[in-house]
Amino acid sequence: MSVAEALGRRARGDLEIDPWGCDAGAQDLVDAVLRQVIRVSVSGGDHVPKKGAALVVANRRFGVLEPVAVGRAVRQVAGRRMRFTGLVDVAPFGTPLRRLGTVVNRPAEVASLLRSGHLVGLPLAMQLNSRLRAGNLGPEDVGPALEVGAPILPVAVIGGEVTGRWAVHIGPPVPPPRSRGPLALADAADATQQAIQALLDEAFPPRWPWS
Amino acid sequence: MRVLVTGVGGELGTRVAMLLDADRRVDVLAGIDLVPPRRSIASLHFTEVDPRDRRRLLAPVREIEPTAIVHLGVYEPDARSSPRVARERTSANTRTVLGAAADLGSLDRIVVRSGIEVYGRARGSATVPDESVPPDPTTPFARSLLEVERLAAEAGAAADVPVCTLRMAPYIGARVPSPLARYLRLPVVPVSALADPTFSVLHVEDAAKAVVAALLAGPDDTVNVVAPGAVSVWQAARLGGRVPVPLLGPEWRLVRYLADLAGAPVPDHLLELIHRGRTADGGRAREILGVEPRRTTRASVEAAQRSDTVPLRVVERSAA
Repeated sequence: MSVAEALGRRARGDLEIDPWGCDAGAQDLVDAVLRQVIRVSVSGGDHVPKKGAALVVANRRFGVLEPVAVGRAVRQVAGRRMRFTGLVDVAPFGTPLRRLGTVVNRPAEVASLLRSGHLVGLPLAMQLNSRLRAGNLGPEDVGPALEVGAPILPVAVIGGEVTGRWAVHIGPPVPPPRSRGPLALADAADATQQAIQALLDEAFPPRWPWS
Repeated sequence: MRVLVTGVGGELGTRVAMLLDADRRVDVLAGIDLVPPRRSIASLHFTEVDPRDRRRLLAPVREIEPTAIVHLGVYEPDARSSPRVARERTSANTRTVLGAAADLGSLDRIVVRSGIEVYGRARGSATVPDESVPPDPTTPFARSLLEVERLAAEAGAAADVPVCTLRMAPYIGARVPSPLARYLRLPVVPVSALADPTFSVLHVEDAAKAVVAALLAGPDDTVNVVAPGAVSVWQAARLGGRVPVPLLGPEWRLVRYLADLAGAPVPDHLLELIHRGRTADGGRAREILGVEPRRTTRASVEAAQRSDTVPLRVVERSAA
């Protein structure tokens, strides 16, 4: 289909927008541009499910481009589109961000996406001072994954906005917690944070001054 | 089963009554509303009454002694009545009919029409809420619907019977006096220049099937009934070949006035839909009711855009 034809169809309203406001066509278009701009090397790509839901939890420093790098990595290894929490639900930013797959960071919103079989990206708390430390993760953030029974994938993102080069390490799914009730959420959140920290430690092994 | 259907004069009520008319499990079928049903229904005992006239409303309920109430007498602002009258009728209808039926002792189930408007669209709220999300109404219609839910729950508790609350997406279809459908059929459709949110609807035929399924299954539950998929406001206008006109803010006041003159009033909940969208997670419908909407949101919007007419708001009649 030519570009003019595609634009004509869109102008007639012939496009697919899902209930969360995401336009897969717009997402694909932006990804095609990003592919030219940033380079992402991925390890552990086998852990990304080929279909079905998963909560993808990643570390971040500033939190601007990390989701882009994770989204690119998942596309690269699994050919799947992702959703990311962190929508600024204020006009005029809300609609364009929604079209690209961003959603509000609410447990109910994440749960609805997971129930529909989507891959949902969730960032840890920002770590402005150190790229070696995984930020905190609230117990309520992993609640939707436990409720729906979706795997939680720990992801370490390393790189820089300046160089445009990113390394994304995807770990195996975090084992489901043995405890039940509110403690299960806390255990799952701790286990996820530790798994991401382990991936970061692996990427940056401790070095002694004399070694 | 002795079934009383309130709001039987609306398109949804008429379709529900027709489905029940053809069902052998229904022994007695009665209906009440402001206006008669849209089509002739052989076995229906119809009583024409304004819900605000409590004495006249009580008579058919006591006479029929229903075992099941299908409460569809929930009036959307600016669909057929002004917002104030719609609220009064909805409240009076719910309180009187469900209250009286709960007192009779014959009741064994209640089905109530509510709407996904009850979740509200506060900033930062979940875009696709499921039934576990607490209602947070942000418009008068949503508050009216929540009052219906509360009164139905009270009546159900008093009579110790299950109450199935159907939170429906705005239902549209041929002959449905929907403010949303009227708005989208304007030759030029004002839309927000700052946001193009998504909304879901429900085809009236699917709505009727869901109501009947809820009645026959009789679950004590709350279920969202939403057509699959969504469309954006801009897209919905274009699907009907209309011209969307982006507006920034202050001119909406004038637009509402002009749209009212053009026969397509814009009540608060429709204005909210245009600016903030309205969807919900209808994934539990199949599990609880055994049915799910067949038509997608897009197909339903296209069908409504193609239909010949959308009934206009009627001139009010004063309550007796």
